[in-house]
Amino acid sequence: MKHALLVAMRDFSESARTKGFWLGILLFPLIIFISVQVPVLIGEKAVPQRNFILVDQSGEFEEIVKEGMERFHQRQVLKAMVKYVQKHAMENTETNSAKVDLESIPAPDGQVERFLDDFASANPAAVDAFMEKGGQDMVLNQLERFIGEGASPFEEPRRRFTLVPLPDSISVDQSVSDIAGELRPYLRGGQKLPGLEDGGKLFAAILIPKDVMAQVNRPDRPPVAAMMGRNGIEYWSPNLADLQLHDEVRNLINDEIRKREYESRGVDVGVVRVVERSRAPIAKLNPKKEKGKEKVSMADFIRQWAPSAFVYLLWISVFTVSQMLLSNTIEEKSNRIIEVLLSSVTPGELMMGKLMGIAAIGLIMITTWIASLIGVLAWKAGPQFELAYQVFEVLKTSNLLIWFAVYFIIGYMMYAGVILTIGSLCNTLKEAQNFMGLITVLMMVPLFTLMFIPKDPNGTLATVLSWIPCFSPFIMMNRATADPPLFDQVGTLIMMVVTTGLILWLSGKIFRIGILRTGQPPKIKELFSWIRQKP
Amino acid sequence: MDDAILQLNEVTKKFGDFKAVDSVSFSVGGGTILGFLGPNGAGKTTIIRMILDIFRPTSGSLSILGKPSALMVRDQIGYLPEEKGLYKKMKAWSIIAYFATLKGMSRKAAKVRAYELLERYGLKDFAEAKTDSLSKGMGQKVQVLASIAHDPDLVILDEPFSGLDPVNQQVMEEIIRDMAERNRTVIFSTHVMQHAERLCNRIVLINRGKKIFEGSIPEAKNLLPRTIHIESEDSLMGLSSIDGVKRVEEPNEKEKGCWTIHVEESVDSQELLQSCFERGFKMRRFEQVEPSLHDVFVELVGETAREAVFR
Repeated sequence: MKHALLVAMRDFSESARTKGFWLGILLFPLIIFISVQVPVLIGEKAVPQRNFILVDQSGEFEEIVKEGMERFHQRQVLKAMVKYVQKHAMENTETNSAKVDLESIPAPDGQVERFLDDFASANPAAVDAFMEKGGQDMVLNQLERFIGEGASPFEEPRRRFTLVPLPDSISVDQSVSDIAGELRPYLRGGQKLPGLEDGGKLFAAILIPKDVMAQVNRPDRPPVAAMMGRNGIEYWSPNLADLQLHDEVRNLINDEIRKREYESRGVDVGVVRVVERSRAPIAKLNPKKEKGKEKVSMADFIRQWAPSAFVYLLWISVFTVSQMLLSNTIEEKSNRIIEVLLSSVTPGELMMGKLMGIAAIGLIMITTWIASLIGVLAWKAGPQFELAYQVFEVLKTSNLLIWFAVYFIIGYMMYAGVILTIGSLCNTLKEAQNFMGLITVLMMVPLFTLMFIPKDPNGTLATVLSWIPCFSPFIMMNRATADPPLFDQVGTLIMMVVTTGLILWLSGKIFRIGILRTGQPPKIKELFSWIRQKP
Repeated sequence: MDDAILQLNEVTKKFGDFKAVDSVSFSVGGGTILGFLGPNGAGKTTIIRMILDIFRPTSGSLSILGKPSALMVRDQIGYLPEEKGLYKKMKAWSIIAYFATLKGMSRKAAKVRAYELLERYGLKDFAEAKTDSLSKGMGQKVQVLASIAHDPDLVILDEPFSGLDPVNQQVMEEIIRDMAERNRTVIFSTHVMQHAERLCNRIVLINRGKKIFEGSIPEAKNLLPRTIHIESEDSLMGLSSIDGVKRVEEPNEKEKGCWTIHVEESVDSQELLQSCFERGFKMRRFEQVEPSLHDVFVELVGETAREAVFR
């Protein structure tokens, strides 16, 4: 045992001196930090300002779009203001330590980001009221006394989309296609719009033809525009990724068209607006949860998906550490250090030492990762970073971290056994990579199923994969927060431990002989005879 | 030998159907420098690996420092394998210290010892160098030092001289002599006979898995007939009639006038010289020639070794 420890210590200190180890340790916290911090920076500063041109030959919608885009901007102002007030009012009151009650925040249907967005924008009445009563100046005046003196002044967010006039050289009276033709160089970026501060880049052009009303599609009539070979309203932009302006304009115009339709049919639009906003609440309930708390919450949502992140972490750590173990073993073999080692330690001690030394490396690596993850989450956790806070809470209240540690150790030992066997049989890293390819393919399976498992964590696929030893640590990690049946949890754990023991025992037998062997890797038949050999 | 440090009894090792070592027995007493000689592929490395219990013999037994397995006394043994290698990224001193700690030295003592050895054998300036920056010869010296750092009772060196320049070969000889002076036992294998001749008290000669000789160097030399060189313009053919003279070789073209007389051990060279005078031969030179270990080696394994190459 003393010898095994000495080997472990050397392997540890050697691997800890490699660049790969430090890269691995530092890169992950950096990525976490960046992925938390960059969206914040982007959200605050990097919102691009975009110019667009509106040509309305019909004269029907110009005002509607102008007004609508102003409201769009005021909505951003309102949203920013809500955040600003939240932040600074919090700093001032004692109540800021009162944590957000996770369980009471409803779960979103889709992405969390959208949920936050909807929350602020789904209330046009609020925007209307905000604008009517004097906008930000009024609100800021009202709030002055709640906001601490040290608070930085509120900065109005930049206007996302700015309406710019058509260049003088282009006549409004031409046909839509002619205007589009003349705007082309501006849209492509070759030509700049005159008299603009930001370089005069044109982001989009919206062209509304004279006869737009005649092209409107109605469910009870044939599609007129398509039949005439017309496009209706034309939205020109080289940027296909940012469709916010497109969507905004489309909604504005369609709302207006519908409003007119209502009017033409003698329906009160005010009534329609009211009617449209009425809805029945619908709550998601989970029968598995404690009585009185069955409502599916944000925390449940995070609980469902957080394990996937841990599977990924588990995968990367097992994979990285396995690679280290492999190159470490191969070095000793290809350098023929192994023979000297074996005159001082038994193969068993050597193997044990390697397992422990590299395991220590792996543990340090994942501990730093998790610590940095928790650190960043704790640092960011707060009302402005609800998500970070909630993830942090879920980590604190669930057994995720414990399971992670358990599955890491088992998963590592299981793969390490196989890798030591490969390492002992191959003479060069190149030779070993062929075998590693196979292992990697096997290891890919839990990655492929990463996103499927949380959707049905106790379904057939999940259950079957859980009982296949080489996938078990990953899949069970993926199911960790879904309360898998006790039979699965304990059963697979026992199975994993037994399999790992078996693999280590077998690899010990092969390692003992293979490690001294040179030349071609042995045939399968030979391997079996090694296993049967007595030490 | 009762006080044998190492004793092999009928040790045999088979790899599949191939008999790499065929019932080899020999023993080594304390404080001996034993040369372990034999042509390539003779089975030297296999025997060494069995001595170290890296391989188990198929049959036969061995005793090392009084124990049946080297693993039981591994802290008292030092080993330099035939194929040499070092951890590339480790420093010279730390690699020596590491192997010494594996042999039971404390970390502190091992470090002191590593620096001491590096200084004594001319590698002081390279103590902090990573081993992949060392030349092959230096790396090999580091490895030898690593194998003796814990001052073992028995050192086994497999081809310690290969790859060393003449100066470092001398350093290597010095290392071996230093060990023997402190009454340590050294076994080394080589196929360069000069080293064995200079260093060894005893040699064991292995060929095709079998021991073909064990004994001291004079004993080995006695295996070959003695020869006497006589330089003379006269024909010495007449000497062949003398008792104990086996063969008289005429001078070849290269060595003008140098006759080679093969004689039996019993023949006294003084008497031979006397009879030359009696016969009135005019001699420019009369020289009794000692066979070298090299000659013994070639004589004993020459034919089979050549075959072995083509096997």
